[in-house]
Amino acid sequence: MIERIPGAFHPFVLPFVIGMVFVLAWCLAGMLRILFELPREDRRKFFVSLITPRILWKDIKDIFLNCLIHVRLWKRNKVLGYMHSSIAFGWFMLILLGHVEVFLFLPHRVRFLYYPIFFNFFVAEADATIQGEVLMFLMDLFLLLILSGIVIAIIKRFRSRIVGMRRTTRANALDTVGLYALWAIFPLRLLAETFTAHISGGSFLTEPAGQLFHRFISNDMHILPTWWAYSIALGIFMVVLPFTRYMHIPTEMLLIPMRNAGIRIRSARKGFARLEYFSCPGCGVCIDACPMSVRKENLKDCTVYLNRQLRRKNEPRIEEISDKCLLCGKCTAVCQVGVEGPELRMALRGERKYALTPDYGRIETSALSAPLAERKAKVLYYAGCMSQLTPSIRKATAAVLDRAGIDWQPMDPDGRLCCGRPLLTAGRTDAARELMAKNREIILASGCDTLLLTCPICYRVFLEDYDLPGIRVVHHSVFFQELLRDGKLTPKNTPVEPRFVYHDPCELGRGCGIYEPPRETLDALGTLLEAPKNRQESICCGGSLGSLSLSFEKRKDITLGALGNLTAARPDTIVTACPLCLNTFARYADRPVKDLAQVVLENTTD
Amino acid sequence: MMEFGFSLSPSSAVDLDKVDTSRFDRLVEMEPQARICIGCGSCSATCTAEPYSGMSVRKVLLGLQRGRDAEVDRMLAACMLCGKCTMVCPRGINTRHLILSLCRISGKGKEGKA
Amino acid sequence: MKKNKNNANQHVAIIGGGIAGLEAARALLGLGYRPVIIEKSDRTGGHVADWHRLFPDMSPAKDIVERLRRETEGARTLLQTEIYAAGRLGNDYTLTLSDGNTLRAGAVLFSTGFDLFEAAKKEEYGYGIYDQVMTNADLERWFNGGGDKRLDGKEIRRIGFVHCVGSRDVKAGNAQCSKVCCITAIKQAIEMKEKFPDAEIWCFYMDLRLFGKKYEDFYIGAQRDYGIHFIRGRVSEVSENIEGRVIVKAEDTLAGKPVKVSLDVLVLMSGMVCNRQVHGLACQLSLGVDEDGFLKSRDNIASITESDNRGIFYAGAVTGPKTVPETLAEARSAALSIHAYLSAQ
Repeated sequence: MIERIPGAFHPFVLPFVIGMVFVLAWCLAGMLRILFELPREDRRKFFVSLITPRILWKDIKDIFLNCLIHVRLWKRNKVLGYMHSSIAFGWFMLILLGHVEVFLFLPHRVRFLYYPIFFNFFVAEADATIQGEVLMFLMDLFLLLILSGIVIAIIKRFRSRIVGMRRTTRANALDTVGLYALWAIFPLRLLAETFTAHISGGSFLTEPAGQLFHRFISNDMHILPTWWAYSIALGIFMVVLPFTRYMHIPTEMLLIPMRNAGIRIRSARKGFARLEYFSCPGCGVCIDACPMSVRKENLKDCTVYLNRQLRRKNEPRIEEISDKCLLCGKCTAVCQVGVEGPELRMALRGERKYALTPDYGRIETSALSAPLAERKAKVLYYAGCMSQLTPSIRKATAAVLDRAGIDWQPMDPDGRLCCGRPLLTAGRTDAARELMAKNREIILASGCDTLLLTCPICYRVFLEDYDLPGIRVVHHSVFFQELLRDGKLTPKNTPVEPRFVYHDPCELGRGCGIYEPPRETLDALGTLLEAPKNRQESICCGGSLGSLSLSFEKRKDITLGALGNLTAARPDTIVTACPLCLNTFARYADRPVKDLAQVVLENTTD
Repeated sequence: MMEFGFSLSPSSAVDLDKVDTSRFDRLVEMEPQARICIGCGSCSATCTAEPYSGMSVRKVLLGLQRGRDAEVDRMLAACMLCGKCTMVCPRGINTRHLILSLCRISGKGKEGKA
Repeated sequence: MKKNKNNANQHVAIIGGGIAGLEAARALLGLGYRPVIIEKSDRTGGHVADWHRLFPDMSPAKDIVERLRRETEGARTLLQTEIYAAGRLGNDYTLTLSDGNTLRAGAVLFSTGFDLFEAAKKEEYGYGIYDQVMTNADLERWFNGGGDKRLDGKEIRRIGFVHCVGSRDVKAGNAQCSKVCCITAIKQAIEMKEKFPDAEIWCFYMDLRLFGKKYEDFYIGAQRDYGIHFIRGRVSEVSENIEGRVIVKAEDTLAGKPVKVSLDVLVLMSGMVCNRQVHGLACQLSLGVDEDGFLKSRDNIASITESDNRGIFYAGAVTGPKTVPETLAEARSAALSIHAYLSAQ
């Protein structure tokens, strides 16, 4: 190992150094800005998390698995997973091994930022020792890995269907510059190292390539131009990085520890929200996932475009995209970074100014709770607004509860107050809190120990946003499964088992993580079939209250899309556990659509 | 002379020549569907907020066209955005979005201040 | 018009053996043609055969259906027969039938009628969920002597009628007015009042569309002689109380107040909606289908019984909701159009 260049400097490193300093300064400033924007308690939470070993370990693990290996993407699409992890992990290893080389052989050069990057230029006979040879081999190996990823990336760019994506985002001008710079970096590095291989040494890739080139061109003449080009490509990439979607790389590394620290979106544009929309890699996986994409006009209303418009501060489009969304949460379920599309939109809706504010002062809770307190049942059944329009659910639930001998009473026999979730999703948070306080008073005064819900919209808000000490909040899909398990309900013997397919309502599945209890129930009562897209990937029925602006007519295609998925397995009956899904599907379905409560009632005996 | 105890009280008739419908006009710009209400009353009968403020989308739309803005604002105040009116409307009006738009324009067609 | 001589024995295919098909067959027989009635069910007469009495004269539906059946005995009637395929062959049409035969006809008449809206699709009205809720068709069946546990042996003191169920309702997929439900509701309300003289009866309507001969008289009679209450408001919710009654919620829009009323029986006036089964055939023959799902006439004023295709004609509710007299008039008109068409060939 000999240091070939005295002074360890050559002007060609400058483009890289400038780019590197720029991007580091930019990221540091950005990080400070986000930290500054966080509410004080969140900031504290974050710092505490960094000195909590358990969370810190999780941070490191998550960053490694998500930013470098891209495990979530692997699970979704193996080709895309390979492409991303080969580039990210390979590049990381090149940088790491470059530093190892410097540490091992020339520890006094560690302080030069560029030295590990351009190591092969500055040294000669680096492969003279066994460690050197191993390192050189690894460097070539990871470079090859990256190049294979780049090849896939180039194919994906022009033929996204080959890698299993129907739709992908269109890059803007700077993104394209960044993209081409990124593509150029690694082939240029290969060339630079190839032309230098006879001096610095190389391995299985660079050495034979160098010998091959040597047969018909002078390698020495090409050394400097290729190293210059390599450095310039790096420099360009890093200078444009903050203005392209590649900003997601450094941003995600901050997003992960902040999320692990328990920080959530509080403001639509600042702090954690900013971190989320800058973490979006713009891959476009959410375009195919979004149920609204069945209509071409909605293709640009999914989360990847929201993030883009937020970065561009395009207010009219931000409002349009925020209001249209069904808040089904599927984009978050498929997002490799975990950008919370629905939460971002709810926060954006919350920014809106209204001249009129709701006032629920006239609602007297004592009058509403008095009869409940007098009757005092253990289980309080809150049907909710939507179930007022689906009497089948109310009637079947009542019959099942009676059959199982439950001591229960209805909280809203003729419709009372809304749960507050529709206000929350519309961004009217203060009004929602006021309404929730009213409901809370009624529930606490009723003397119940269990609050039973048949509507996932209500269930979610009671679970997440209400403070009901000593009261169990339970959805009927879980409650009925327990009744069956405990033998309070007995499945009916039927000569021909009914064939059910279960639709996961957005708020129950992705919203509250309840996937298995309804399936266990249906499995016990008949034959359970699965739709091709189920559980986390279930398709919204299209009736969601989450969308503020989507008109009735424009929801039809979404419903038909979801129905197509559900009927693929040829079930007799489509079963769901949400009044809104029931109402929406029943309108267009070609076979019976039932709520879980109806199915339980029909298929059990006393 | 005898004094008779009669005096003229202002008529409660709506004078369509004088009614200021600018708020309704502004609403129609934002929500063209506001015009297609057939006044069937489905929304009123199903409304969760009706017992508390007399809320009714039908009456809100009619009130705006008859110059009864104060009444409209009073009714709107108890709306919980539960969405039942949107579900039952036979004309498919997105009443929920209509209410949100209406809450943004206060008084005589002014936008809500930031 | 003269009986045709040149085209004697010419086949005319009549798709649908309801009153439109029967009346057209009767007229065509009179003109010397050989109509073939293709009916998917096991009897002719269509919806009218299920009805009890017809407004405005309260004439028994049975009379008209039986007269038509009698007068079309000369026509070939294929019951329980469906059409698998249809196509054009020269000037004629060929229909491949479910009985394995092929029918060649010089002209085709679509008298495929309508479907009654499936009331269970409007779940908030509780049809199929509450024992007290029935439809206009269920009620006619009961009038005809078919038993119904919702009425038999029950003390009926309070009855409600909901107009516009599944019609004038974009949510139900039918924006059109079903035309006959207002007068049917009034007719049935009067008949119910006659059966249950002590009962109170409410009709919930959006608009009363009483356009036909003597309809307004019916309305006046219902108000004056039978004391039927009319409430202008569409029912939005139906629930059940402990006494086993259904509670109907609506807004009395004239009073500007929500109303609720408990009822022993609630009758839903299911509207006429398009017959979707005919869409496949319409597609094969490239016939136009309107947005409401009914078949498209060449012209809605001058040639309502004609399609855009030569040799294909319409009669009755295939092109939209119709009353019985309108349907019969259209059937006769279509028969004349067919005669003119075949004579010109």
